[in-house]
Amino acid sequence: MGILLSSKKPTFDDTSNTVFLVQIPRGRKVPSVSPFPLKLETYLRMAKIPHESVISNALSPKGKTPWIHHRGRDIADSQFCIEYLNKEFGVNIDEHLTTEQQAISRAILKMVEENFYWVLVCYRWVYSDPQNAGFAQKLPSWLLYLISKRVKGYANGQGMGRHTPDEVFHIGKLDLQALSDYLGDKKFFFGDKPCVTDCSVFGMLAQLVLNQTEAPLYALIQSEFPNLERFCLTMRDTYWPDWNDVLKPVAAAT
Amino acid sequence: MRLTFGDTRLLALAAGAIAVGVVLFLNASRKQRKRKKLPYKDESDTVYVVQIPRGKKVPSPSPFPIKLETYLRIAKIPYENVFARKFSSKGKIPWIRHRGKDVPDSQFAIEYLNEQFNVDLEAHLTKEERAMSRAFLKMVEENLYWALACYRFIHDDVRKADYPSVIPTWALLLFGRRIKKYAWGQGMGRHSVEEIFHITKLDFEAISDYLGDKKFLFGDKPCVADCAVFGMLVQVVFNQTYSPHNALIKNEFPNLERFCWTMRNAFWPDWDQILAA
Repeated sequence: MGILLSSKKPTFDDTSNTVFLVQIPRGRKVPSVSPFPLKLETYLRMAKIPHESVISNALSPKGKTPWIHHRGRDIADSQFCIEYLNKEFGVNIDEHLTTEQQAISRAILKMVEENFYWVLVCYRWVYSDPQNAGFAQKLPSWLLYLISKRVKGYANGQGMGRHTPDEVFHIGKLDLQALSDYLGDKKFFFGDKPCVTDCSVFGMLAQLVLNQTEAPLYALIQSEFPNLERFCLTMRDTYWPDWNDVLKPVAAAT
Repeated sequence: MRLTFGDTRLLALAAGAIAVGVVLFLNASRKQRKRKKLPYKDESDTVYVVQIPRGKKVPSPSPFPIKLETYLRIAKIPYENVFARKFSSKGKIPWIRHRGKDVPDSQFAIEYLNEQFNVDLEAHLTKEERAMSRAFLKMVEENLYWALACYRFIHDDVRKADYPSVIPTWALLLFGRRIKKYAWGQGMGRHSVEEIFHITKLDFEAISDYLGDKKFLFGDKPCVADCAVFGMLVQVVFNQTYSPHNALIKNEFPNLERFCWTMRNAFWPDWDQILAA
């Protein structure tokens, strides 16, 4: 089973300046079925940082994925990775934002990653069949069951898991409404130039708009918040012109 | 079987411990019976807010009851507090009961009350401002909350955090262990102390930068996000004043302290009386 790749830590070339992005295998319809690798990879492309994807199930020192390896250092957590890379490469894709916009940008980022993320998690792992998450290959049921159980526990502790599916859908709708209302007619959330928050929103919404299109939340986007779909397609076309090529090896393998 | 002197001593100790336990239990039961009973079905419009008892430095050591109570005061909704360690159907606290209906979760409670009492603290906001209001609400309740919870329950001594004396230390420590487990699953618990402080600082900075010189987050009238921010920051500004977070606010984000005073003076003029009671 190809998906059950070794979790052994990959080896890296520490002499090069390349950033190695360690992430789970590509999805069937999206470069990653997880929002955070997609956020991080989109940021790397946007900031034009030399990078290489390393497909592996190896977890970071914090027990999560994705993570990066750069010049001998492992950095976990997508946001800490971005802060590190901004410093190392002297980049700041948020520099065109005013102080107030930076504040709003952070608030939106956190709403998406700490609230809406859990709406998606509950949908994918608790309310529907995790096999529909868009993995490259059919995963063994026992593995999905174990992951589901763990995720359910996490969601319960975080809080979202204590609500009913209807309540979670309602929370999701309010988040999407906020995103849609703030985006409006703009190309990106803060105008004509994207920022880190755009990467994060894209990574998250792509899971609905371009991956799990059977989800009721996607139907909601189509009927009530079409600018969010337009935004996803803009991000994809601008920063992932090779989207189909990235997915091709996956399509060939399945 | 012949009892040794050691056995007898042990038995006496065990008997003593059981006796003490029984006395404490009976005493607690008596206190529980004397405590205000929650009306099961009440046709009045009064909203009953079930929350843990008051602190000595803050009306609640938890941010959510303060958020909820502040909202009720701003919206001028008639309410009555029921101080109890009674958890909601979702296993949490605070929660409300209105006309016999229980609504857990502060945000669902507010949405319910908005509908019941035809209130909208966000009516004066533009569509864009409503969007930002939600974003700040979620940043504070789903991110900053965990950063501060990790500090209070994991990095620091929870007994300093102004919990009422009716909640025994062992209960606080047990709750702390649960928070640690939850924080691990949520994600915040996987970061180091310094990283969590860094995250806290960035959240404070965002609120401070957005607030600027304004009286409330969106101008001269407060909204639900202001209640949530207040409930959270009160824990730093008035409760855990010894914390590095308090020093951070004083040194770098003084408008956050100013905001807390504004909210407190405007909507909690009885703050001191409440704490003295």
